[in-house]
Amino acid sequence: MLRITGGKVYDPANKIDGQIKDLNIDADGKFSDGQCDSRTIDATGMIVMPGGVDVHTHVAGGAINFARAMTPEDHRRTQAFIRTKTRRSGLGGMAPTTFATGYLYAGMGWTTVNEAAVPVLSARHTHEELADIPIVDKSTLTLMANNEIMLDQMEAGEYERARDVVAWYIWAAKSYGVKAVNPGGVAAWKWGGDARNLSSPIEGYNKLTPGTIVTQLARICDDLGLPHPMHLHCNDLGAPGNIKTTLDTLKHLEGSRAHIAHSQYHAYGGDGWETICSATAELAEYFNSHPNITTDAGAVIFGDTVTITADGPWQHLLYKLTGRKWGNLDVENETGCGIVPYTYRPSNLVNAVQWACGLELLLLIQSPWQVFLSTDHPNGGCFWRYPEIIKLLMSRDFRDECIKKLPSNIKNKIVLPEIAREYTLMDVATSMSAGPARALGLKQKGNLGTGCDGDVVIYDQEDDPGEMFAHPRYVIKAGEVIIDDGEIREAPDGREYIAKPFYDPATNDFMRPLFEDCYTMQFENYPVEIERVHGASIHDCKNDQDS
Amino acid sequence: MGGKVTCTLGEVKQRADFIIYWGGNPAECHPRHFSKYTLMQKSKFLPKGRKDRTMVLVDIRETKSVKASDIFLQVRPGKDFELITILRALVKEQQVTDEQIEETGLSREALNDLVSRMKAAKFGCMFFGMGLSMTRGKHMNSAALLTLAAEMNAFTKFVAMPMRGHGNVTGADVIMRWQTGFPFGISFNRGYPRYNPGEFSTIDVLVRGDCDAAFIIGADPGGTMPQPAINHLKRIPTIVLDPHITHTSKLARVHITTAAQGIAAPGTAYRMDEIPMPLKPALKSPYPSDEEVVRRINEAIAKKPFWLPEGSMPQMVTEQV
Amino acid sequence: MGIKLTLIRQPTVPLEAEVLCPDTLADCSADEIAQLTIYHGKRQLPLSDFFEIEGEKSDEIEIHGDLKKVRWIGRGMSRGRLKIQGDVGMHLGAYMRDGLIEVKGDAGDWIGAEMKKGTIRIDGNAGGQIGAAYRGSRRGMRGGLIHVTGSAGLEVGMRMRRGIIVIGGSTRDFTGLQMKGGTILLGEGAEIRTGAWMNRGTIISLKALEVMPTFGIAIRQFTPPFMPLLAKALVSEGITLPENKSFDLYNGDLAVPGRGELLVLSS
Ligand SMILES: [Zn+2]
Repeated sequence: MLRITGGKVYDPANKIDGQIKDLNIDADGKFSDGQCDSRTIDATGMIVMPGGVDVHTHVAGGAINFARAMTPEDHRRTQAFIRTKTRRSGLGGMAPTTFATGYLYAGMGWTTVNEAAVPVLSARHTHEELADIPIVDKSTLTLMANNEIMLDQMEAGEYERARDVVAWYIWAAKSYGVKAVNPGGVAAWKWGGDARNLSSPIEGYNKLTPGTIVTQLARICDDLGLPHPMHLHCNDLGAPGNIKTTLDTLKHLEGSRAHIAHSQYHAYGGDGWETICSATAELAEYFNSHPNITTDAGAVIFGDTVTITADGPWQHLLYKLTGRKWGNLDVENETGCGIVPYTYRPSNLVNAVQWACGLELLLLIQSPWQVFLSTDHPNGGCFWRYPEIIKLLMSRDFRDECIKKLPSNIKNKIVLPEIAREYTLMDVATSMSAGPARALGLKQKGNLGTGCDGDVVIYDQEDDPGEMFAHPRYVIKAGEVIIDDGEIREAPDGREYIAKPFYDPATNDFMRPLFEDCYTMQFENYPVEIERVHGASIHDCKNDQDS
Repeated sequence: MGGKVTCTLGEVKQRADFIIYWGGNPAECHPRHFSKYTLMQKSKFLPKGRKDRTMVLVDIRETKSVKASDIFLQVRPGKDFELITILRALVKEQQVTDEQIEETGLSREALNDLVSRMKAAKFGCMFFGMGLSMTRGKHMNSAALLTLAAEMNAFTKFVAMPMRGHGNVTGADVIMRWQTGFPFGISFNRGYPRYNPGEFSTIDVLVRGDCDAAFIIGADPGGTMPQPAINHLKRIPTIVLDPHITHTSKLARVHITTAAQGIAAPGTAYRMDEIPMPLKPALKSPYPSDEEVVRRINEAIAKKPFWLPEGSMPQMVTEQV
Repeated sequence: MGIKLTLIRQPTVPLEAEVLCPDTLADCSADEIAQLTIYHGKRQLPLSDFFEIEGEKSDEIEIHGDLKKVRWIGRGMSRGRLKIQGDVGMHLGAYMRDGLIEVKGDAGDWIGAEMKKGTIRIDGNAGGQIGAAYRGSRRGMRGGLIHVTGSAGLEVGMRMRRGIIVIGGSTRDFTGLQMKGGTILLGEGAEIRTGAWMNRGTIISLKALEVMPTFGIAIRQFTPPFMPLLAKALVSEGITLPENKSFDLYNGDLAVPGRGELLVLSS
């Protein structure tokens, strides 16, 4: 179907580091050994990588859709996608519309995205939105760490029940895995509170602590054999001195796999906004000695954005700090979300520290198989600005130039100026594609080996990595040329990956009365029907009963 | 700048110990609201159900909902915005005179009592109806109540949500937002979505005579809109998709009978709190669904020359010249 | 020698013509002007389809005709002069950066929205949202002067930050809504909710009006010290303020709580 010849290939999964290699993609859109005699792309002098994989982003569902409604001023000034024969209309910007999201990701060479926060109650909505995001393949994570039915099981010491409940919810949501946000804190927020300490009982419970939730939920994800480990947004996000909480959380995870989301927001020292400083060295050290844990940077880029997170209490604080608009949506029994527009400024000391922390983590964590490129879109910045981060990682000179624009009193608050490391193209390919694909358990992604999905991005070699990564020469999805010379040629529908963990069939009867007690819809109407998921691809999980 | 602080209805059912209905008559317009969500339900947080909850009704007249309320505040017609703005000042302990308060038809005692109850609530929820959002001041009246709810979070947990009318208004709003970034009042004339309520909202477009055709699904503007808007619908080619004969279908050039959504056609309806509900049809209809009709119209249009002439690209309207 | 444009046929749907702007026309030959793109609904058409064009290469522009359906004239203009004979549609002089717009006739909504500098003079009535912030924006006009001799609509000066709006007649509801600075002068008062949620800035009314309950009276029979200065600034624009009048000064909006000033001519 497609042949790519003569390119310098960077394929970390197969340890190919810049060697010239031809690639063949068969009629099923997968890499094959056999040669095919159809279209050939001559990639001589070009750089070839597996399509990007975003391990943590917010592109569809109630929260981002709330953010869209709240930011008409951004839509007016942003890049518009004018309808043509090959694409539908839409808007880019801080909270891009669905069609534009697909075009923007693909336009930058990303071909798989993981929507990291879905309440089960509105999962049907999220899937409908994802169906309207063209080109890229997708997966979703279900918000679990504040689900009261599950918390009640943990409080009662019913681990197996809690595990069955989690599995039941994942299948009801037709999602791919578990996201834990501020365990216990969002539940407390429903009374206007928060949970910032791992070992104090959560408001409304006698003995259940955030620490217990963290430990048990990570174990549940492992026991269920989910392809992706627990995806954790730690307690105490964004607060000065939260490194203590983060390290404490990591200790609660010992023995389990885990992915720590947007760790930049959890790596601060100091004890107030005046004394906030980077504590990334401590956090990176932990990662360097614990290879079973992965993370994504959640890097901050200066400029306007809109922050959206299930972390309601943090958003209320941010609203009070900024005096700007505030949206909040609490979701019955499960979770909540908050939305606040925000501008990161280099002149603002706190923002400058945040900016440095994201880059520091990406540079100080030695293995790019452990730390991935992300901005926690749109929280730290918009995903379409990833090429700027790549440039910062690849060029120390450029970093130094940017550091000069920061307030002068930042000197002893960050370590970035002392870091000499520069990313190689192999590092970039690992951090943007091979690493996140492996962490997500998507074996067919981020890998140019035989049998894997034919998702490829091809760049003209340029001196400025920012330019090079922003404007790929070709983007290929499942063997189809999607982007050629900056133009969208095709906009096929993507797939959606779903996990099907095992649970005791009696869970349904167990759930019904609890459900009817705290929800307001019919039990039968709650699970998303599989027919409603566009292009569903089901991953059967291996659970401990089988092994 | 305020914002919108809200929750799903299950949160109200579980937690709300203080409920305000403003400018609505739920007893008659949303008869199951009290029993399903707001008043009668017991929960682990509110074990005594109705006894654990306080309900305040604010309206310009006595309706059947008064009987269900613990406190009824009769606001003078057209003074809702002023009353909410006074409450915003009072919660911040700003000085407002007795005469100023009395202009709204209420006494200082009543408002002090309301404010102290609001602050003492564990979980407050305000619902507002068309008596607020469709009377003089319109979107600013809604904004006022949403802002008051947001600001109450400095003291305790508070949320607000609109009581939407019938039909899947919320669903249209949700989908327009994900496809275009805007909930309604959108123009595509430049090939990309632009938003300006008042300029592009349906009533205004029709009243000014700014469109030369109309395509109507799931609505009956011929029965609800002002006369100049209806007159324009009569002047231009109007196409209606509806299972029934309506005011609009009678004035339309074309009426395509479709299957009734939810009864004979499947889909998703979005509840007033934006929770998606699957529609599972019980009956079969000889008529096509709205979706099918629209799809076939789209297919027919796709056979015509593309709307944008070859080689031309519309410009965005922005600040930049 | 300027450019003269005359509308030769009525648009059936709104006609968007942001090219009718000195910045664009100043460098165009007659042929180039004729070929500029305007939008009749979704159709892109050359300017000459709707306008007869006389003159070229000038930033002195005159437009004649019933332009009620013509929108975005003078969008973002930074120099020159636009003279309009006839009624004109929405967004006139939106995002304006400098120069002068004069209209003999009525104007639509959103004139001078989010403008930074320059002058808009309407010899007639105008619609709503004059000098306002577009939906969701934090700031409306940031400078310049808008003068409407007749009456105006809703939300005049919404979220304005700086600059002056003078309305000879009366305005409708929400004049100075969420105002953050600048001055609004009302010749004939306003309907209701004047200065609602204002933070700062000054609204002066030369006629009694209904004051929001969340404004506190500060001083009665007060002669604002800045009035002579304002009067002097407006004289060059042909606006004369009554001299030696005293005002009642209100502060608000307490709901914010804001420190805006509402000056109402003492009765
Ligand atoms: Zn996130």
